Amino acid sequence: MAMRQTPLTCSGHTRPVVDLAFSGITPYGYFLISACKDGKPMLRQGDTGDWIGTFLGHKGAVWGATLNKDATKAATAAADFTAKVWDAVTGDEVLTLAHKHIVKSVNFTQDSSCLLTGGNDKTIRIYDLNKPEAEPQEITGHTSAIKKALWCNNDTQILSAADDKTVRLWDRNSTAVVKHLSFDMSVSSMEYIPDGEVLVITYGKTIAFYNALSLDMIKTVDAPASIHTASLHPDKDFFVAGGDDFKLYKYDYGTKEELESYKGHFGPVHCVRFSPDGELYASGSEDGTLRLWQTEVGKTYGLWKCVLPEELVSENSDTIYCTPAAPEIKA
Amino acid sequence: MRNPVSVLRLPRGPDPNSRGFDPNSPRFLALCPTSISSSTGSGSDPVQMGEEQCARSALREGFLRALVAMTNKPVQFDMYERVKVHATFGSSDIDVLNFQVSDLHTPIGVQKEALLRCQDVILYSFDL
Repeated sequence: MAMRQTPLTCSGHTRPVVDLAFSGITPYGYFLISACKDGKPMLRQGDTGDWIGTFLGHKGAVWGATLNKDATKAATAAADFTAKVWDAVTGDEVLTLAHKHIVKSVNFTQDSSCLLTGGNDKTIRIYDLNKPEAEPQEITGHTSAIKKALWCNNDTQILSAADDKTVRLWDRNSTAVVKHLSFDMSVSSMEYIPDGEVLVITYGKTIAFYNALSLDMIKTVDAPASIHTASLHPDKDFFVAGGDDFKLYKYDYGTKEELESYKGHFGPVHCVRFSPDGELYASGSEDGTLRLWQTEVGKTYGLWKCVLPEELVSENSDTIYCTPAAPEIKA
Repeated sequence: MRNPVSVLRLPRGPDPNSRGFDPNSPRFLALCPTSISSSTGSGSDPVQMGEEQCARSALREGFLRALVAMTNKPVQFDMYERVKVHATFGSSDIDVLNFQVSDLHTPIGVQKEALLRCQDVILYSFDL
């Protein structure tokens, strides 16, 4: 019999969660960082959602957060006009990079040597983390605030999405625009999948998939509500999306068929990402929570436990998700 | 009517008393050397790291001894926005985020008990 999805709610933030990112798979598992308007980004164990630590130091809403591949470094982008680099093992602040306006996006190169930033000053910056006092390389061209800037094509190119309704592909060395996509409305989110060079873009009620090298469109899918975020499964068989109607939608990537929709959040969904092993996806919402969802509902993984049919008749079937026994979890 | 998936427990939330990053976690213990690599950069030389660690220990010990020596003494704090106040120092919290002080003399009066946010303090001085 099919099981009903039980999302795991991660509490702790006191304001909307606007961005989240997973690390790669490390010898200690994988990790998740969440950016929140309360200014206190948090690091969590990726497969359980257990809180590990909070990065303290920003003086404003944190709009973007990222981890490097081995989760030893974190970077955050905030409304206090700074991007910060952190030691993700100790939680210490390592670097503060002053900007001239709100910073919205941060992204490490594969080797963690450079940090890409983008924000409301419409300029993309590349910082050499081995020479942080040096002036960053600047890439200008966008005519509106930048929402997201990502390394692509083996860190030789940069993809950026801005409120000027364009997505642009830049060459890192020449800083010149290579390709340009225009839309009728602002792009709400962008995800880059290096394996297979796929770009996932959301705008309006549409989730669109592009080839990240050529910017040729692969396919588009329309959802029932305005979509703020989407993520493609590593095996490229599913994708998930969320937006204004508070639900998470799961689609078959091949057939574009809507497979499931899940209620759970109490506010619009701002960000969703698949874990690096594809076993779960995490969503962040206006309601201040992160929720972890199983890709294969009913499978034993992380904190979810597969219950055999005979066990269902016993006490297990209603031990789920009642009022938490632990009183120390406070918003 | 589908049965909901069972859950072992809920994800653990933040500890209200600390910022986390448990120094006893396996990851911290294994990767700890990276926490002092920021000044030595990549490819650190063990001798240099050892010397740096000695210097860091000495500085940290000096700082902690200074905090102890300051207890119950009058201390002057120079803060941002050209704020200069003085108070009797009580103690610091574990992460040095707040100083607990008594009889804080401010331009608008004396506050019997107060917490000073350390990130707002530029320098503080006291007589030994």
